[in-house]
Amino acid sequence: MKATDIKKSQSQVKGDESTDLTLFVRTSDEELKRWDKNRIYDALVRETDISEDAANIISKEVEKMVSKMEIDYITAPLIRELTNAKLVEYGLEGIRKQHTRLGVPLYDARQIIMSPNKENANVPHGPEATNLTLAENIKKEFAMLEVFTPDINDAHMSGRIHLHDLGMIDRPYCSGQSIEYVKKFGLNLPNALSIAKPARHPEVLIEQIIKFSAALQGHFAGAIGWDAFNTFLSPYLVGVDDSRMKQLAQILIYEFAQQAVARGGQSIFSDINLYWETPKHFVGVPAIGPGGEYTGKNYEDYEAESRRFLNALFDVYLTGDALGRPFFFPKPQVHITEKFFQTEGHEEFLNKISLVASEKGNTYFVFDRGETAKISECCRLSFKLDDQDLSEAKTPWKMRFSAMQNITMNLPRLAFMSDRNDDLLFNNITEHLELAVKAHMQKKEFLSELLRLGNRGPLALLTMDLDGEPYYRIEKSTFLIGMVGLNEMVQYHTGKQLHESKDAIKFGLKIISHMKKEVERLGKENKIKLPLEQTPAESTAYRFAKLDMKEFPLAASSVVKGNKSTGELYYTNSTYLNVSADISPIERVKIEGKFHPLIEAGALTHIWLGESKPSAESIANFVKKSFFNTENVQIAFSPEFTACLDCGKTERGLRSNCIKCQSPNVEGITRVTGFFSKISSWNKGKTGELKERMKDQPL
Amino acid sequence: MRFAGFIKTTLLDWDGMVACTVYLPGCNFRCPFCHNKDLVLHPEDNQLIEESIILDFVEENSDFLDGVVISGGEPTLNPELHRFIKELRSRGMMIKLDTNGSRSDVLEDLLGAGLLDYVAMDVKASLDDRYSMATGVNVDLQALRDSIRLIIDSGVDHEFRTTVVPHIVREEDVDSITESVRGARRYSLQQFRPKVTLDENLSVLDPYPESKILEMARRAKPRVQKVQIKGL
Repeated sequence: MKATDIKKSQSQVKGDESTDLTLFVRTSDEELKRWDKNRIYDALVRETDISEDAANIISKEVEKMVSKMEIDYITAPLIRELTNAKLVEYGLEGIRKQHTRLGVPLYDARQIIMSPNKENANVPHGPEATNLTLAENIKKEFAMLEVFTPDINDAHMSGRIHLHDLGMIDRPYCSGQSIEYVKKFGLNLPNALSIAKPARHPEVLIEQIIKFSAALQGHFAGAIGWDAFNTFLSPYLVGVDDSRMKQLAQILIYEFAQQAVARGGQSIFSDINLYWETPKHFVGVPAIGPGGEYTGKNYEDYEAESRRFLNALFDVYLTGDALGRPFFFPKPQVHITEKFFQTEGHEEFLNKISLVASEKGNTYFVFDRGETAKISECCRLSFKLDDQDLSEAKTPWKMRFSAMQNITMNLPRLAFMSDRNDDLLFNNITEHLELAVKAHMQKKEFLSELLRLGNRGPLALLTMDLDGEPYYRIEKSTFLIGMVGLNEMVQYHTGKQLHESKDAIKFGLKIISHMKKEVERLGKENKIKLPLEQTPAESTAYRFAKLDMKEFPLAASSVVKGNKSTGELYYTNSTYLNVSADISPIERVKIEGKFHPLIEAGALTHIWLGESKPSAESIANFVKKSFFNTENVQIAFSPEFTACLDCGKTERGLRSNCIKCQSPNVEGITRVTGFFSKISSWNKGKTGELKERMKDQPL
Repeated sequence: MRFAGFIKTTLLDWDGMVACTVYLPGCNFRCPFCHNKDLVLHPEDNQLIEESIILDFVEENSDFLDGVVISGGEPTLNPELHRFIKELRSRGMMIKLDTNGSRSDVLEDLLGAGLLDYVAMDVKASLDDRYSMATGVNVDLQALRDSIRLIIDSGVDHEFRTTVVPHIVREEDVDSITESVRGARRYSLQQFRPKVTLDENLSVLDPYPESKILEMARRAKPRVQKVQIKGL
């Protein structure tokens, strides 16, 4: 029944032959239709497996019920729910489920339209953003009813596991690729009104990449990452002088940074992977240049251009935006390898990106040791390249990576359920990993169904086939298993937090090793790539803590972090150490790094700088030691800023008033999880965490 | 030997280095602008940290740490300093010493034994009557002059620094201060922060504006190799 509103109109009762009840149905087509019980019958037969007889009885019963009501107005959702009530009364629970109506209560819709979204600090508040939220609410319910089985729903709803981005159930999680696809094929998107040939000039190429990113953003829930960006851009940069080079860097950064006009008013969560040297796997690869043609040279022949662009990029990052604030996107992921340290000029470059880390915080130092090659995106997600990927490196436009879904385990909850019993704990972990994998397979099935609709389906873009296979290769996609609150799990189970004893760390490592072993087994059994990832858990760390305080109030309150009286509660993210623990950055990088090799799909250690601004040389020195002396795979330095909205002054540190003009109209900026955002947009859990972050001062 | 403070990692206290910083309690000066007043006035009230904690940390993290910054209070007053530095050096640490220069004999001993890699000495005011105003005690100016000479002539990397507190250090004083450290590798002007001060009257004092400090730096430049400004 497509009705949105039914008006009971006594004045128009002029002797209807079938019934004395005259109602008008206001349909979603903005048209008034006369009451007709057959609409209930039709909807039941169309939408559910009900028998015709039963549908007939139900619709008559509903009509009887409505006719007894002494009301002036009745809404379509109410009619549907009355019908559902009858279905339950008649024991037709299965039919009722099929007949469910999705939507939001008026109160919620008002809240969504009037107040900001706090689940994701990257969503501003505006009409587009509230469209996104409303749509996501309905898709979330749809996912629960149509995509996942009840056992999965229960596990998610009760907060034992968390299925991320349920509101984006109709698309994969995130995507990483090289710009080679755009260079080679231009912009030739399905259903587009016009087609662009491969770019001849770097400005045009950058524009095409941004547009393609926006198109991809509409088809993935999360991050869009670009591999070896400067390496692949370099053939377009021959003969480009310094001022144009800087302008190109500005175009790239500003275009990504200001795309808060795209989907849902949300910035494209964009990452650019950068290399000082030509990555090993792209050495000897024929370079594609202007017009999508081979230039006759290899990528390593353009190292000079590649480095000049890289330097220009970091000059722009160092300056920040017009008010000197750090750019939130695109996030620069600089890959550091052994080869890096043997390459000419690397010291100067390392100092430069360290200066940016100290001044603005942007730089992510990604450590690719030994034979590791990876592409990074999202808050910390990375795809390790396997042998097949490395052979595809010769045709880099084929290198397209995606995670289809991310599911996070509530580790503290599993500890509470296990009552400090080791066997129970490990069994509970395994059981919930199995549940998560089941959920992954259900999403895979649903997305396969959408992708099978091909060019006419909702995911037409992902099925486009310009190089002999669809853009999105479902069989190559990765399924992520994340975790929240290892620290609190270990604390509850052993009595000590990770930083409090070596045994606690050992036990934590045992847990994560067990998880790794189990996901490897389950991945093999289900023929999917199933790595562990450090969930960024921007809202999940809060959600889990909140739910556990209800379900296991005694146990949870003994380990939960944050402020119980204000409700600013959280669990420590993934395998992190307590953010408020008095341990030095050296220990943090070392200890957190012990977990990193077990977490193949990406990990990150934060060093919170607060107000301090170390010398570039000291940061470079620290980075170098982290690379050579630890197993840590990625570090980032996070400063804090206060930007005045009145006088425009941007100052280090978080303050309630501008230091220059004393205005209280200021916004605080720092990293929420793996990305920078405005503190005012944070949820309560992260707000609580911020207050407890150890700023390592004076560092 | 026991310590009043221990920062396990600093990227700030020694440019270019990954270091840790230890604070020794007790001082023979009473600078009104001192921001470590608890170390100076009530050294016995501090929760003191055992030497073994520091040595264990250094040993465990010698793969990361380049050195240790020894600060205070005034470290040269401690009779065990020489031995402690040797303990650190035997663990591969370089040493930066923060000092007020009043104990030139101790500096001579440490420099002579090659135990220091960096010395940062405060020159708090003009080396004249103003010095007692800056330090709140009577100071043996000759000892300071000896220390300055020892440091500059040692060949060890070094820095002299002045916290520019209005009234105590006037703009023109920078000329005579830098004259007394002529030829130094580094001279730093540290902005005065009136947050926590030993003499509470100073907490209402407005620091010099940025432009004034830049002018001071300009005046200092001809007599030293490098001028740095900190805390702006």
